[in-house]
Amino acid sequence: MMVIAIIVGCVLGILIGFISPTIPYTVSQYLAIGIVAALDSVFGGIASNIKKNFDIKVFISGFFVNAILAILLTYLGEQLNVDIYLAAIIVFVGRMFNNLGIIRRYYLDVISEKKPFKKKDKKVEN
Amino acid sequence: MKNKNAYIAIAVVCVVLTAAITVQIRTMREESSAVSVATANSELKDSLLEWKERAENAERDLEESTKELETIRNESTTDDNSATEKQEELKKYNQLIGLTDVTGEGIVLTVSDSSADSTLLDMSSLIVHDSDLRNLINELANAGAEAISINDERIVNSSCVTCAGNVIQINGKRVGSPFEIKAIGNPESLYGAITRPGGYTSMLKSRSIQTDAKKMTNIQIPKYSGALTQNSIEETN
Repeated sequence: MMVIAIIVGCVLGILIGFISPTIPYTVSQYLAIGIVAALDSVFGGIASNIKKNFDIKVFISGFFVNAILAILLTYLGEQLNVDIYLAAIIVFVGRMFNNLGIIRRYYLDVISEKKPFKKKDKKVEN
Repeated sequence: MKNKNAYIAIAVVCVVLTAAITVQIRTMREESSAVSVATANSELKDSLLEWKERAENAERDLEESTKELETIRNESTTDDNSATEKQEELKKYNQLIGLTDVTGEGIVLTVSDSSADSTLLDMSSLIVHDSDLRNLINELANAGAEAISINDERIVNSSCVTCAGNVIQINGKRVGSPFEIKAIGNPESLYGAITRPGGYTSMLKSRSIQTDAKKMTNIQIPKYSGALTQNSIEETN
């Protein structure tokens, strides 16, 4: 179900992306940081869905606020001539790997539970 | 129900995300110069080749037009005596200013970068500079050379010899070592001016640059391939 939602979303998104016009080069770096924020949100959403504590308000607000903050940081960094956006990227990518770890463990468990000789008592830590 | 909302929300964010990624990739493709230096370089190379071809075409066109002009002039002056005189005059002046291929006796001077070990000596003194060529041209002109060319680039009154990084530009065209300087004129005086003790070639030799001057009887010097333009000068009465 989750996989279907993601695939449908991605296909729709690619279609929209091909229809919509391209943006000026100066804006593209803000869009790039927005993309990283969105990726982080997607991973966070999937992970929280797996942990059964998904809250749509947290998810949507996180998506917008994170993206806006990251874009503002990029703008500020441009004004100050410091690459502050790198900080945002590091945080986002770090969180992405964390969330990916949660997703990975969940699906590993799902797959190994299907095997008949699976030892149920073995706990996986980390 | 809550789960369904979650799927919808994630799908919506996925739509936004992939749309943004697609737009971004398309933008970066369009602005390929900013994506990578390699792409920019290859584009520059392409345009360089294109401009070179255009320059060659323009040169060919110019040559054809000059030939056409010549034939028209010849045709129109065949029956007219005074016009024939004018035609002769024109030919003579064209020869003088370097617009015709000329041949005659003179010297051929070959100057090439030194092959000496550059670790022992100053690197800069071992290569032939634009100023060296200018001095040699001066020396030859001073000795009465009537036509001079360097690597088949005719020296005319608008010619300039300039440094362009690791090559030398003459008449806006790149030439490199070895430089073959042809000069038509009295061979004895040209040879003497170039090879005299304390002259410029002896100075070059002290920098261990290889020079070789030869007197020759049949030197061919091509015409100036560019166009001589006149925009500002007027005749004073």
